Amino acid sequence: MSLVRSFWRFVLALLREIGDENAYQRHLAAHGRVHSGAEWRRFSEEWMRAKYARAKCC
Amino acid sequence: MIKIETNAGIDGHGPALGSGSLARVAKFLWRLFWLIIAFGAAFFLSGIALNRGEHINSIWLVLAAACTYALGYRFYAKFIAARVMALNDERATPAERLRDGHDFEPTNKWILFGHHFAAIAGPGPLVGPVLAAQFGYLPGTLWIVIGAVLGGAVQDFVILFASMRRDGKSLGEMAREEIGKVGGFAALFTVLLIMVILLAVVGLVVVNALKGSPWGTFTIAATMPVALLMGLYLHYWRPGKVLECSGLGFVLVMASIFAGRSVAASAWLSPWFTWSAMALAVAIIAYGFLASALPVWLLLAPRGYLSTFIKLGVVLMLGVGVLVVHPDLQLPALTRFVDGTGPLFAGKVFPFCFITIACGAISGFHALISSGTTPKMIAKESNALPIGYGSMLLESFVAIMAMIAACVMQPGVYFAVNSPAGVVGATPAAAVAKIASWGFPVTVTEMSTLAHSVGEQTLFYRTGGAPSLALGMAHIFAQTGGGQALIAFWYHFAIMFEALFILTIIDAGTRVGRFMLQDLLRHFSEPLGRVNWMPGVILTSAAIVAAWGYFLIQGVRDPLGGINSLWPMFGIANQLLAAIALCVGTTILLKMHGAKYMWITCTPLAWLVIVTFTAGWQKIFSPVPAIGFLAQADQLQASLAAPTVATRTLIFNARLDAALCAFLLLMVATILLDSFRVWYGVLSGTQEARVVEAPFVLSQLRAEKL
Repeated sequence: MSLVRSFWRFVLALLREIGDENAYQRHLAAHGRVHSGAEWRRFSEEWMRAKYARAKCC
Repeated sequence: MIKIETNAGIDGHGPALGSGSLARVAKFLWRLFWLIIAFGAAFFLSGIALNRGEHINSIWLVLAAACTYALGYRFYAKFIAARVMALNDERATPAERLRDGHDFEPTNKWILFGHHFAAIAGPGPLVGPVLAAQFGYLPGTLWIVIGAVLGGAVQDFVILFASMRRDGKSLGEMAREEIGKVGGFAALFTVLLIMVILLAVVGLVVVNALKGSPWGTFTIAATMPVALLMGLYLHYWRPGKVLECSGLGFVLVMASIFAGRSVAASAWLSPWFTWSAMALAVAIIAYGFLASALPVWLLLAPRGYLSTFIKLGVVLMLGVGVLVVHPDLQLPALTRFVDGTGPLFAGKVFPFCFITIACGAISGFHALISSGTTPKMIAKESNALPIGYGSMLLESFVAIMAMIAACVMQPGVYFAVNSPAGVVGATPAAAVAKIASWGFPVTVTEMSTLAHSVGEQTLFYRTGGAPSLALGMAHIFAQTGGGQALIAFWYHFAIMFEALFILTIIDAGTRVGRFMLQDLLRHFSEPLGRVNWMPGVILTSAAIVAAWGYFLIQGVRDPLGGINSLWPMFGIANQLLAAIALCVGTTILLKMHGAKYMWITCTPLAWLVIVTFTAGWQKIFSPVPAIGFLAQADQLQASLAAPTVATRTLIFNARLDAALCAFLLLMVATILLDSFRVWYGVLSGTQEARVVEAPFVLSQLRAEKL
């Protein structure tokens, strides 16, 4: 059972990493800020600009 | 330096079970295990290589690949990690030293593995093997497995290692530092050109998958408002809830697939979504422009999330499906088309099989990812082994799954779907007669029944690989769950997956191309280089879209289906980028160890240079019009006394393709010569072998922190 739980935790963590939710949490922690709509928009603007300036693989 | 965790093998260390007889038994069993794996690899590979005249089960391919990957990872990759790179977990990585909570962040090994895999896995490993299946399953399968173990995974691993030791520098920066300014500039320019060809060819794959298909077109059209809704949801209503928003998007996309059946059946709605190839091409070009110019959060980002999640899910489903269903392969090991007369694309098995399958065996584009985000997130140096080498093996496995999905179809059906009208004839009756004359019987009734079973009007002339891959996937998925009653749903699910995935490459690629162009133009005009100056944004977006849109239209108008000329050009370009990456890798290994370990990157480099230059030369100068661009132009010129505007355009396009191909070869020849100059200097002692790694800093990071 614990194996299933840890696998599920891993899957969620992976999805959060791919979905940039972990990056947002790190951003909040690094700047000592709390979550808000404006904060997410500030983060996503900066993050997406960098993310979509890199080539995507074929 | 600490030792990379090894249990047994090349350096003879067994599992740490203690001393005495127990340890000796464990060591013996461990060696026996690897001996069995080695025997298994040899047995299954020779089984698929020597089988003739009988249908082989797909499990043979799966086991041959799995055993070879295991051997490659356990012995070859660990040898490179321990002896060549001397990966050292006591050395702080850029993620630790330069930690900023943004780009540089130590990340759990398996999470980064998934992240890296999601970034390198594009449509290439799915489409390439399907096209190469025209030679039979054997050449493509051997290239995918052996090419990945000795070439692709080595390239990804070496570049990841090099970037990790250089503060996460990009391939272009490393090329400039290690080889010289000429190499660096050529690398950047080659990437821009490859982007243009890539976007055109993947656009053509989508066009051919959706033309005359109201169900498919409706489903893909529906993903646009779904993405916009997701963008607004994430930006204003539930900021930061990406998983929740993607779940909602997934439900809506699934609903659109179900609704697509009713749209296709409706006499009123169906014509609205039945588009010609040209109309679809124009729509995709317009979409690329909008996606490049609109704010990222509105369209690109939500589509990107949705596409990535669906991609990972479908790859997993396909893997499970193949294992559960383990269908027999219907295509033979080798077809008559190894002689170069193939209907999907012309050219002999050597060199064309090796450029048709790029991603899945070796892909230069991976070097951009391995020197992009990933090296900035690696927590420990030893993690580069599973992430760099291991994730390429997984991608190669995806390519094997695609090869299986293509080969489970009856050969006659496979060729009827993938052959252009210009090769097999403009009517279904002519097409089946031609295909039957090749020894692959198929009937019009059979094709018609198949088309109706998946909710399509026709499946003839669907070049590009996507529809045949969707058929193969639908066949596997339907046997896994739902049976034949759901085959139409699974077919359109697969088409939706491929098109969504490819459109994500197009929208993001156009934007990246725009940034590259703006970066170049800012040297001539400062405002054009500003990413927030709207006239500059519109102008550069239009320029990039016009560049790939031109080749897309060219592909749509091509009487041989477009794939015949565009896919080999894309393959050559991608493999040439891999050659650049391997030049950088070889230079670094040479500076680290002298000539001792040069062969690790030189061997795949030599192979790629031989393959790409032979293919490039043939695409330009072959006297066979179906292969050589110049011969094609000459034939068109000679065939008409007074060429029409359309023919003149075809002649111009063939000459343009030849010029582009020659330019790419010239670029890479320049980088090769520049590299040879550096290598000769280092080996002869006239040039200093200075390794420009970041200085050693003792790591303070503990594994449990991650």
